[in-house]
Amino acid sequence: MEKVIDEFDKDQRELIHLLHEIQKQFGYIPAHMISQIARQLKISESEIFGVLTFYKAFTLKPRGKHLITICMGTACHVRGAPKILDEFKRELSIEPGETSGDNLFTLETVNCVGACALGPIVIINGDYHGQMKTREVDKLIKICRQKNGKR
Amino acid sequence: MKIIIDGKELEVEGKKTILNIAQENDIFIPSLCDHPRLAPFGGCRLCIVEIKGRKNYAPSCCTYADDGMEIKTKTPRLQRLRREILELILSEHPNACLICSEKENCDDYKSTIRKVGETTGCVLCSNNGRCELQDIVETQQIEQVKFPSFYRDFEVKKSDPFFDRNYNLCILCGRCVRICHEVRGASAIAFVNRGSQTVVGTVLDLPLLDSGCQFCGACVDVCPTGALTERAIKYEMLPEETKKSVCPLCSAGCELKIDLMGGKILGSKPSEDGAVNRGQACVKGRFIIRDLVYSPRRILKPLIRANKKLEEVSWEEALDFVTRRLKKYKGKEIALITSPQLSCEDNYLFQKFARERLKTENIGSSYSFSPLAVYHEMSQKNQLGLALNFKIRDISKAKVIFLLGEDLAVSHPLIWLEVLEAVKNGAKLIVASPNELPLNRFSSLWLQIKPGSEFHLLSFLSRILIENGGAGRLSRIEEFDSFKNSLNKLDISQVFEITGITEKELIKTARLLLEEEPAAFLFGMGLTQHPWGSQNVAALQNLALQTQAQLFPLGLENNLRGLFEVGRNYPDKGLAFNKIIQGASSGDIKALYLAGPMPYLNKAKLEFLVLQDCYINENFELADAVLPATTFAETEGTFINEEGRVQRFKKVVEPVGDAKPDWWVISQLACKMGNKGFNYKDVSGIMKEMSKVIPGFSNISYLKLENGKEIFIRDEKKRRKSFIPLKDNGPLYKTSKKYPYLLFVDYSLDYYRSLPLGRESLGLRKIRDSRWIKISPEDAKKLKLDEGESLRVESSSGSFNGFVKIIESMPKGTISTSLLWSEDSDFSAVSFFTGFFQEENALGMLPVKIKRGK
Repeated sequence: MEKVIDEFDKDQRELIHLLHEIQKQFGYIPAHMISQIARQLKISESEIFGVLTFYKAFTLKPRGKHLITICMGTACHVRGAPKILDEFKRELSIEPGETSGDNLFTLETVNCVGACALGPIVIINGDYHGQMKTREVDKLIKICRQKNGKR
Repeated sequence: MKIIIDGKELEVEGKKTILNIAQENDIFIPSLCDHPRLAPFGGCRLCIVEIKGRKNYAPSCCTYADDGMEIKTKTPRLQRLRREILELILSEHPNACLICSEKENCDDYKSTIRKVGETTGCVLCSNNGRCELQDIVETQQIEQVKFPSFYRDFEVKKSDPFFDRNYNLCILCGRCVRICHEVRGASAIAFVNRGSQTVVGTVLDLPLLDSGCQFCGACVDVCPTGALTERAIKYEMLPEETKKSVCPLCSAGCELKIDLMGGKILGSKPSEDGAVNRGQACVKGRFIIRDLVYSPRRILKPLIRANKKLEEVSWEEALDFVTRRLKKYKGKEIALITSPQLSCEDNYLFQKFARERLKTENIGSSYSFSPLAVYHEMSQKNQLGLALNFKIRDISKAKVIFLLGEDLAVSHPLIWLEVLEAVKNGAKLIVASPNELPLNRFSSLWLQIKPGSEFHLLSFLSRILIENGGAGRLSRIEEFDSFKNSLNKLDISQVFEITGITEKELIKTARLLLEEEPAAFLFGMGLTQHPWGSQNVAALQNLALQTQAQLFPLGLENNLRGLFEVGRNYPDKGLAFNKIIQGASSGDIKALYLAGPMPYLNKAKLEFLVLQDCYINENFELADAVLPATTFAETEGTFINEEGRVQRFKKVVEPVGDAKPDWWVISQLACKMGNKGFNYKDVSGIMKEMSKVIPGFSNISYLKLENGKEIFIRDEKKRRKSFIPLKDNGPLYKTSKKYPYLLFVDYSLDYYRSLPLGRESLGLRKIRDSRWIKISPEDAKKLKLDEGESLRVESSSGSFNGFVKIIESMPKGTISTSLLWSEDSDFSAVSFFTGFFQEENALGMLPVKIKRGK
């Protein structure tokens, strides 16, 4: 962990880059790393906390293997995104922002991903699934589970 | 340039915001987030105005005036928009009382309902009557809030010392976050989360104690609502009266506003127009003043020892008793200890009383250990004639700052703010300290120096600078050659090992020191407390000459300079503090008069001990006579701060019990012992005499001070520039197998007279407990010690107990504790410190061993 941090300049402008790097390598920002980041970049721990809670890209909790992002923007909302979300919640038994007990799935919502024509949209690990229907939810989850089983 | 506001033509100079100009011209624009000490923010949007030719409404707090601007501040459209914005703010702030049509009648009937945990309206709010939001609502005539109200339901945070945080009342103006970041440099709080979820918080929602808060109270003072409130006065009524005073708790000399109710102190706040502090204070000035005046340890009545017991008597009897007993001793057998926390007038009378009545020159005080004393002595020895006056504000203009031997943010928080300002303006800060200080975050370079090796660091730096040219200009300064020769004679083969600093770091330091001007060298007791402190200061003085830096000696006590200036008048110097302690233990000193703090005297062979103090301390039980003195708040006089500024402070409250001002006690005793010279009616008579007798005080008059004139003490005029040849002082402190650790003292000034502030204030004790023994994680692991465990420290001269505090940045092999003057005997480091008091002017460090306590 120190290695990741040490590679960055002692400059507070590096904060977001550094957080991205940690998020990428560990899948989340471990809380105990905040003080190390603070020392390296010479900023206060509370300031770092302010930045990392501002951006949705950073999480303090470990994320599951499969990140499911559901667009709740206006267009998707009108086209039934809440129903899709409910279906995911029911299938996975978790709320948005939470990770399933087996650490496979993390459910998140965003407000518009800029592909409104394809709404409602679900993004799983960076793959876009447009014009979602509730009955397809179960299928997508199964695919993820299978991928994992094969590994 | 000219601008027009509401049809009024105004002449404006410089870069100013529209809001500032309006305020200067008594044009009211509502605003909640703007603050004079803070950069424009534009958070609340209440201050919007119309500018001719602009499409949108401009927030006047962050729009700078331009030539020819025509501004309207009160159009009906603006008023409507402002009301709408305010209603939005109120929808997330309990508002029922704010818009109640019968609010005027409310206070009379609901005076006791306020002590509730949850605030749902003004009558239940601890800030009722001192709330800016309340004031603004009043000006905007809001009758109804049309948005649904939303209570955020946060738990009120009450676990931290001194103030509560109720973010249900927060309107997110950001003043607290900004003052903590922009002015105080702590950044302990920040905006957390985003959008409608935004809240002010700390890292991982930890208590402020664990997030770098200094508890200066600046956030509480700028909060426009009841979100942040001082706990001690939360449910008190509004102050009836506010009086100004000068804080006696460090040498910066902050001006305080003391709130009073029924003749008692409610609390203290920094004064906006204080010359030094400009609206800022520190934890001590902000939260502890009331505690120290109303301490349960205050001595209320004069006491004398009769039949082996201390008995309460009248002042007349006590004074007679002391007079009778003191008369029995010859001058040399008597010694007095005064305090640099007493006023100039008190100290002048002490000197006069000792010399004229008691015929003794033995007047000691903790002044002897101060950087000022060492600095002055060094300059005298070398006939330098140094100017001691400086301007604290000048530190903010420095481009290079070298800080040695002081955790400035703790010991001199207000001077630290000037350094911070300099750093924000691009100054380079170099810190030399054995352990990592929180303030190192702002440094360009931290030299982790081995304790006590400053001399080697400084002389080596001098040598690098000479070797790398730059000698041409300097060689004309006196003693340059002998200085250069002395440097060449120093054995530098081991400098990296002795100091623990690498060659690369040293060269970088030298480069930084030369890079830009002006340079400021700030040094504290960490540099001067060693037996070779005088050589350390000489080395620093040389380096300052080479880099054209100004020296700033940082003393601890508020009136060190005053005590020094008063004593300067008397050429004969009697025994110093250390020698008095030794004399008292050997029996050479038979009578001791204590008006300042003194280690526990249980082993002293004294025949007569007088205690003139505000507080019961360890020596109380040994005293033969006890004379209750007033605190600074109950008397008047002048202090002289670090920079030489003369500050008048006045009586704020009536004395507690029968306590009397120190000058009164001394003059009464003197009158009983002789006829002439001590008939003072009040302090102004003393000052009048001082200004005639002491040359340095000749320009001081109460009248001028009261008219707001800035007066600095007369300083030495002749300044002789000269290098000082350096001498190596031989080996540093040596540890041994028996005593493998090195103990050094923290110098934060946490005492007033003989009261350790941490004992009276639970809050301060949580922040920095004087009983902590700080130790590195490695040593703690080796000794299997846990945080908070009891610990015993032993040296060849004594031992004391304390609690383990593991500090990551402590260097291995060293421990540190606070410099205390008196504590509970269980934790008393006092008798132990007599081991320190052997050298003249030096506290030094001690080789010790540590054991787990019982």
